[in-house]
Amino acid sequence: MEEILDPIILGQLLIGGLLAGALYALLASGLNLVFGVMRVINIAHAEFMLVGAFGAYVLYTAFGLHPLLALFIVVPAVFGFGWFVQHALVERVVGQPMLTSLLATYGLSIVLLNIGVLIFTSDFKGVPALTGSLVFGEFVLPKPRAVAALVSIVFAVGVYLFLERTRLGKAVRAVSEHPHVATICGIDTKRIRMLTFGLAGAMAGAAGTMLSMIYSFAPESGADFIQKCFAIIVIGGMGNFAGALYGGILLGVVEAFVGGFLSTQWAEATAYLLLVLVLLIRPTGLKGAALAR
Amino acid sequence: MKSTIRFLMLLLWSGLAGTVALAAQAADIVVGTSVALSGKYARTGQEQLQGFQMWVEEVNARGGLLGRKVALKYYDDESKPETGAKLYEKLITDDKVDLLIGPYSSDVTMAASTVAEKHNFPMVSSGASASEIWERGYKNTFGLYTLAELYMDQILEYGKSKGLKKIALVYENTSFPRGVASGVRSKAKALGMQVVYDEEYGKASTDFTSTIVKIKAKKPDMIIGGSYLPDSTAFVRQAKENRLYAKIFAFAVGPGLPDFGKNLGLDAEGVMGNTQWEPTLKLPGAKEFSDKYKAKYGHEPGYHAGGGYGAGYVLEEAVKKAGSTDRNKVREALFALDSVNAFGRFKVDKTGKQIGKPAYAVQWLNGERHIVFPVDAATAKVVYPFKDWAKR
Repeated sequence: MEEILDPIILGQLLIGGLLAGALYALLASGLNLVFGVMRVINIAHAEFMLVGAFGAYVLYTAFGLHPLLALFIVVPAVFGFGWFVQHALVERVVGQPMLTSLLATYGLSIVLLNIGVLIFTSDFKGVPALTGSLVFGEFVLPKPRAVAALVSIVFAVGVYLFLERTRLGKAVRAVSEHPHVATICGIDTKRIRMLTFGLAGAMAGAAGTMLSMIYSFAPESGADFIQKCFAIIVIGGMGNFAGALYGGILLGVVEAFVGGFLSTQWAEATAYLLLVLVLLIRPTGLKGAALAR
Repeated sequence: MKSTIRFLMLLLWSGLAGTVALAAQAADIVVGTSVALSGKYARTGQEQLQGFQMWVEEVNARGGLLGRKVALKYYDDESKPETGAKLYEKLITDDKVDLLIGPYSSDVTMAASTVAEKHNFPMVSSGASASEIWERGYKNTFGLYTLAELYMDQILEYGKSKGLKKIALVYENTSFPRGVASGVRSKAKALGMQVVYDEEYGKASTDFTSTIVKIKAKKPDMIIGGSYLPDSTAFVRQAKENRLYAKIFAFAVGPGLPDFGKNLGLDAEGVMGNTQWEPTLKLPGAKEFSDKYKAKYGHEPGYHAGGGYGAGYVLEEAVKKAGSTDRNKVREALFALDSVNAFGRFKVDKTGKQIGKPAYAVQWLNGERHIVFPVDAATAKVVYPFKDWAKR
C-alpha cells in the first residue's frame, strides 16, 4: 500500500482519470444538452454512442478506415440520425409529462439495441487501431485515450463556444430557458430542438468512435455507460452543459484514484457513491439549479 | 425513475427470454438447455450451443436416440445465474424435457445445478469448471471440463523452470475466475513462487488502468488473469497502453478463442492461455467435427463449441447404456461411463467432477493459437519471453 503514495503512481492515476473523464464529459454533456433544452431524458443516448462505435468498427473492418478519419463520416451521420429521431419521435413527446418521454426514448433504446444484436450479434468487438502509448520519462500516455480526450475537449469546447458565442447558440439557450418566450421572439423552436438533438447525437457518436479504440463493446454495452451518464449529469447539475463537463472529469479522476487506493470493484461503485454524496451536500448538482426554477 | 426503468427492463427481458425456444414434437426426446446468447458470455455460449446443435443434427441423421428423434429446447439465460436458474426450473417443470445439458459458465451452472439437484435430474455440464460446483455433495452435475484450479498449472511450472518468482494475479469476481485464482495461489505456493499482487474485479469491468498502474510498481515476472473474453482483451490492450511488462502474460478463456486475435490484432502475439480442447488434438472425430463446423459457421471451432459437441456424445452414450431416458438409469450410466469422444476422455468421480481430461496451454504465435503444453500434444514450441511492447 505504501508504494501507492509514490508520486509517479499518483501522477499516472491522475493521467488515467483525466483521460477517462474527458470521454465521460463528452458523452454526458450531450445528454445534458438535450435535457436542458427540452426536458427530455434521452435513455437511448448510450445507443447513439454505440451507433458511433459500430460505425467506426464497420468502416475499419470493411474499408480499413482509421477511426480518426471515420469521425468525419460517423459524426455527421449520427448528427443526421439525431435530427431525424427528434423530428420523427422525440418532438411528439416534448412538453409531455416526464414519463412519456422516458418511455419513448427507452423504447428507442430497445429498438436500437436489438437492431445492433441482429446485425452484429452480441459478440464483443474492438478496433485495434492506434494502440500503444507515448512515453514521457516515467509517465506513459496511452495513445488512443489521449487522442480520445483531445477529440472530446475539441468537441465539448466547440459546442460550448457555439452555445455561448453564436446567434444560433443563443437561440438554443433561449429555448432552454423559456421555450414560450423564445417562440414569441420568432425563434423556430422545433428546428432548434432538432439541431440540439442532432448535436447531442453527434457528440455521442464522436464519443463512440473514440471508445471503439479503447474498450471492447457489444450492442448491450450501453447500459453501463448510460447509468454513469445519469450520475454525471446529476452530479454536475441537470440541464447545465458545463456542469456535465465538470461532472464527467470529476468522475473519471475519482474513479481512477478509488481504483488505485482500493480496487476496480470499488471504482465501479464510485459514480453512485459520488451521486449520493453530491445530492446530500448540494442537491442541485455542482453547477446548477436547473430544476429549481 | 430508476425503479421504473428497472421494472421495464425486467418486463422486456422476461419477454425476450421466451422467444428463442424451438417447438418440439411429442414423440421426440427433448433435450433442454440454457445458454448465454446475450450478455458477457454470449460469444462462448453461442459456440457451445452450435457445437451441441451439430451433435443433434448428427444423431438424428444416424437414426436418433433409442429410435426416437432428438429435439433441442433452449433459452437465452443472458449470462445471468438468476435467469439460468429460472429457465432450468421451466425446462424441468413446464417443458418437461427428457434430458438436460448444462449452461455455459461456472457462474450460471452453480445456479442451474441447484435446480437440477432439487428435481434429482442428471445434467451433463459442458462449460463449467469451477471445482466449488462439485463440492456441495450434489449427485446430478456431470462435468466435461478440466477443473479451473488446474488451468494455469503448466504455465506456472514453465515459469518456475525459467526461474520466475513474482506473480501478479487479477481475476473476475465470479465462480470460475475465482477457481482459477485459487488454483494459481496454491500452485505458486507449492512451487515456491510469490503472488505479489492479487486483486478481484467486477463482472462488468473493462477499465483496468488503475490496476495496471499498481501492478507495474510490483514489477512481476508473470501476469495471470482469471478472465473471460472481454476482460482479457481489454487488459492486454491496456497493458500495452501503459507499458506493463512481464516475461509471461497468461489469461483464462480469452486467448482460447479466435476473437482474441481478431480484436487485438498483433498485440495478441505471445499471450498465453488455456484451452479445454483444440481441433488439432488427436481424438476420434475431432478433425471431422472441426471441418464440418468450419464449413457450416465459417470459422474453426474453439473449445466451447467442442465442449457442446462432446456433451452431446456423453449424453448419447449414457442414454444408450441406460436403455431409456429414466433419470435414475441415466445418472447411473453417467457415473459409470469412461469413454473418449471428439472432445476427449469423460470420466467422473463420485461427485460428478471430471477427472479424466487433461489441461492444455496455448500461446498466440504469428496470429494463430497453438497448443504449447503438454509437449506431446503441442503444435508449436513455446516462445519466451514475452516481447516488450516498446520493441514491437
